[in-house]
Amino acid sequence: MKKNDLKKFGEIFTKYILIISILLILLDFTFHRHGYFSFEEIYGFPAFFGFISFVFIVLVGKWLRKFLMRKEDYYDE
Amino acid sequence: MMSNMIPGLVMILFSIVLPVIPNYFRHPAMLLSVFLSSLSLFNGYGIFLEWDILGLNLILYQSDSLTFPFAIIFHIAAVLVIIFSWHNKNLMEQMATLAYAGSAIGALHAGDFFSLFIWWEATALTSVFIVFAGNTLASRNAAMRYLIIQVSSGVLLLIGTCLMLYQTGNHNLATLDLNSDFGKFIFIAFGIKAAFPLLNGWLQDSYPESSVTGTVALSAFTTKLAIYALARTFPGTDSLIWIGAIMTAFPVFFAVIENDLRRVLSFSLNNQLGFMVVGIGIGTELSLNGTVAHAFVHIIYKALLFMSMGAVLYRTGTTKASELGGLYKYMPLTTIFCIVGAMSISAFPLFSGFVAKSLIMSSLGGAGMVLIYFVLFFASAGVLEHSGIKIPYFAFFAHERKTRVKEAPLNMLIAMGIAAFLCIGIGVYPRYLYQILPYAVEYQPYTLDHVISQLQLLVFAILAFLFLIKFKLYPSEIKSTVLNSDWFYRRMLPGIGRPFFKMVSNVIEKFYFNLAFVFNFLLGKSKKYNNSSFIKVTTPSFATLILIIVLFIMLLIAVI
Repeated sequence: MKKNDLKKFGEIFTKYILIISILLILLDFTFHRHGYFSFEEIYGFPAFFGFISFVFIVLVGKWLRKFLMRKEDYYDE
Repeated sequence: MMSNMIPGLVMILFSIVLPVIPNYFRHPAMLLSVFLSSLSLFNGYGIFLEWDILGLNLILYQSDSLTFPFAIIFHIAAVLVIIFSWHNKNLMEQMATLAYAGSAIGALHAGDFFSLFIWWEATALTSVFIVFAGNTLASRNAAMRYLIIQVSSGVLLLIGTCLMLYQTGNHNLATLDLNSDFGKFIFIAFGIKAAFPLLNGWLQDSYPESSVTGTVALSAFTTKLAIYALARTFPGTDSLIWIGAIMTAFPVFFAVIENDLRRVLSFSLNNQLGFMVVGIGIGTELSLNGTVAHAFVHIIYKALLFMSMGAVLYRTGTTKASELGGLYKYMPLTTIFCIVGAMSISAFPLFSGFVAKSLIMSSLGGAGMVLIYFVLFFASAGVLEHSGIKIPYFAFFAHERKTRVKEAPLNMLIAMGIAAFLCIGIGVYPRYLYQILPYAVEYQPYTLDHVISQLQLLVFAILAFLFLIKFKLYPSEIKSTVLNSDWFYRRMLPGIGRPFFKMVSNVIEKFYFNLAFVFNFLLGKSKKYNNSSFIKVTTPSFATLILIIVLFIMLLIAVI
């Protein structure tokens, strides 16, 4: 019972995010979105950029663990 | 009489008498002092107090359109901290917090570099006790390192000020040129407190080691005081644009892998300062407004996030992601407040971060700086990652919690409630914030273009998070230490320095030993009192030796 709560919440949350993201992409086709720079106005550019940036940050961060991660008591002599 | 008393000074005076006030009345007294200090906000702009001493004209109290918004938010932050720490009976921390907030407010109103220096050091000396109040061995060590760094910043500021006075005969707070010698010293002094790249180690080192309530106080003042000082003295300095951009981008990667959530927030704080520094670097009216607006809203939502993590620490005894999760069930209100803070910092429309960050992004767009614009755009996705998702996700969700904990105490909930209310209030009615900004600029953050762009960025970044979690690509929480720029002085320098000094001292010791042998030999030849107590040759201890070397260097300097 207890375990299902969080899982169910996660599923509902995922569903809503999916719906909203589809709506946002569709919305981009209905009007011309102005940006400061020309490629910013490409259809769905912020969405694409956000997704890629996020994945990039997490994967690079994970990779950086190799160099930056030490034991918890690293500084305690 | 109150009208030309330095704002913040009354808080320091109250902090001194705090020990004689009965425990029960201390927090009301602290609030009263903040109220009395805040009356100065109604004084208007101008110079209110000067002091001629030693041939110097010190401007102790001045205010203008740049100090005003900072003064408002510093007072608000002080109130939030006091309410949040209402349960705390630690006298040292109470005194330090009140005096620290007072010094920061006093520093805002300094009109020359000497008075600024005095307050600059005052914030350092008072805040170090807040780090101390963490009351662990780690926090004590961190406090000592913090003190050294903060005082160094003050010393650099003093050197810069003296040079400036010597070279120009002027020491008033005004815009400086980075090409001048004194400009460089002052720039670095400010840069240390503003946590520039590689000068940032102290921040992530000390803030997470402080107490439940202490971190909230620390997060509000020191760094924003540095932002204020930079905005006053170096607006439009090109190198700040790059420095700021690096500050927004780099801490993002560290925050992904850091396990201690309060340290994640400290990296996030660093990244937020980057946005403000970029705004100062551009130096237009719009961008400086953006910097001030961002500092204003940032203090509130960053305090809110630190308060929510403080509440978690208070109830569970840890803020390590690897040991948390599932708290939403036991601390529902804290969860909601934390999410409000997370959405504000991520700059969701209708939250305070959005109306402030838009100003900086627009001024970048207006200036045609493509690359920096996209670095900041990229960093915005990063903010969402570490502060928007990681903090609430690992603390309150992630996995079910086995042991039951209580909701945060009432005073914490009230403080978080006020902060959350301000976050949403400013987001919905940005015009009240825009009214108090230094320059009158017409700006409309809620255009369809802005809102849709921002929503696309954020929602798809969340989608990326869900995707990474689904396919188990998101890095799991691991108990660990993440190396940061404090490594240079915590590991590298001692690593090189200790063996080097040992070697030097060995050589010197050997030299003295031989010298002693020669003396012994000569004395032994001439007189027969070899073992007399008069002539005992000892090798000087290392400390004396250092003293001699220092004296020698001083002599050399004096001669030159």
